[in-house]
Amino acid sequence: MLEVVDLTVAYGPVMALHGVSLTVADSSITTVLGANGAGKTTLVRTISGLVRPRSGSVRLDGRDITRLAPEEIARLGVAHVPQGQAVLAELTVDENLRLGGLWRRDPNGQRRALAEAYELFPPLASRRHLAAFSLSGGERQMLTIGRALVARSQVLLLDEPSLGLARLVLVQIMARIKTLVLERGLTVLLIEQNAKSALSVADQAMVLHLGKVVAQGAAHQLLTEEGLRHAYLGF
Amino acid sequence: MSRFFVLTLNGLTQGAIYAAMALALVLIWRATKVINFAQGAMAMFTTYLALFAIDHGAPYWLGFVIALLSGLLLGAIVERVIVRPVESAPPLNVVILTLGLLLFFEAIAPMAFGGQIRSFPPAFSIVGLHLGGSQVAFSPFDAFTLGSVVAVMILLLVLFQKTNLGLRMRASAFNPEVSRLLGIRVGRMLTLGWALASMVGALAGVLIAPTFLLYPTFMDQVLVYGFTGAVLGGLDSAMGAVIGGLLMGFALSYVGGYFGSDLETVGALVILIAVLMVRPRGLFSLQRLREV
Repeated sequence: MLEVVDLTVAYGPVMALHGVSLTVADSSITTVLGANGAGKTTLVRTISGLVRPRSGSVRLDGRDITRLAPEEIARLGVAHVPQGQAVLAELTVDENLRLGGLWRRDPNGQRRALAEAYELFPPLASRRHLAAFSLSGGERQMLTIGRALVARSQVLLLDEPSLGLARLVLVQIMARIKTLVLERGLTVLLIEQNAKSALSVADQAMVLHLGKVVAQGAAHQLLTEEGLRHAYLGF
Repeated sequence: MSRFFVLTLNGLTQGAIYAAMALALVLIWRATKVINFAQGAMAMFTTYLALFAIDHGAPYWLGFVIALLSGLLLGAIVERVIVRPVESAPPLNVVILTLGLLLFFEAIAPMAFGGQIRSFPPAFSIVGLHLGGSQVAFSPFDAFTLGSVVAVMILLLVLFQKTNLGLRMRASAFNPEVSRLLGIRVGRMLTLGWALASMVGALAGVLIAPTFLLYPTFMDQVLVYGFTGAVLGGLDSAMGAVIGGLLMGFALSYVGGYFGSDLETVGALVILIAVLMVRPRGLFSLQRLREV
């Protein structure tokens, strides 16, 4: 279980998050919605340790991880897929994928996880020995998501996975993630601009506006709240 | 034997040493985007440590190992103690720190080991080999120099390309933030990178000391030529550094041989300017590829 308690983050004098609290239950998908600048990315970057909060805490299965280094948080089983197709461009596709799970020191498990990733993303399999900078935007996104899946982490933080991906590929990825949620108890925090599609896969949802929580609840409820949709979600 | 042949052999041996120094600089540049101007002075210091051991009765090979191991350790200490605290500061701060380190080592070396010029024993004879009745300008020690530089380069290549540790080190150098999200302890990788670079520098030090003689600033020239070689190679390419270093060796040997050794330093400068005018990113930079 991933818990965020009363988190406040500021970049210098600019407040990015004001007292945000959130609980993501095991084996569920929670989506965080909101316009640009709402603080969605800041929220995931704080969870994964890249940004230090001014106050508040992040807990993983009851353990306080707020002040841990990003690499230690990753090693506790939190995989963060950053925004913007953050592949290691100079390394090959295969090297990128392998890096996802190197910290586990479990070569056999990694081989299986790697094979699964190639099965899920056939375009990557045919380019496995090419440098990642030669990939298209969509393929890069596949690579960052595949890399996180190879880690077989318990918690997956996805920051706008839909960017640059074809609709069909996105549907396929979300179906795969849903399977992992049901079968392996994966816990997912999904950041999205596209509220409609995110709400359709998520169990819980939260809407951020200028760093504050303006709505929180079951995803299907938010989907039917007319006023909220018009005010913050734009559909 | 023709003069050209002699100069070429001489350039090859010298070039191997410049290549080692260039490689040391590139290893650190790739990991931290910093030119370690103290690289030469650190190698000078470890060479003195080796000589100190040999002076006190240690065999040559123990001195050789001491130079490499103390290089490894010195690199790690410098990264942890000096560079780490200014990691997030602008790169210029670190560069100025390395210049400070250069002065520091060159100042304490005479205090610790005496400032007089010392000779350093070679591992093998420095008298040219006899091939087919005539003597060539290539000694057993030259062969050893060339062989050990090649061996170290192959070891580094295997480390970086074939092992998981090397993969982690490359990832950390290319993108520290993403690497940390993948659970890589980037700080340790940086320490290891500095340690390895410093060891390669230390190797250059013990290899050149028998020819150059040992004094506190004896590595300054090697640093300048190694740096020129690294820039020629594009600064971010290990292979480029090696080729750049070798090119410097050949070029300086020809300049020195045909035009007089006074012109060697000017020659280095002319080559650097000429290459940077034609290829501002160096001969083998990856940069251009990435723009495609």
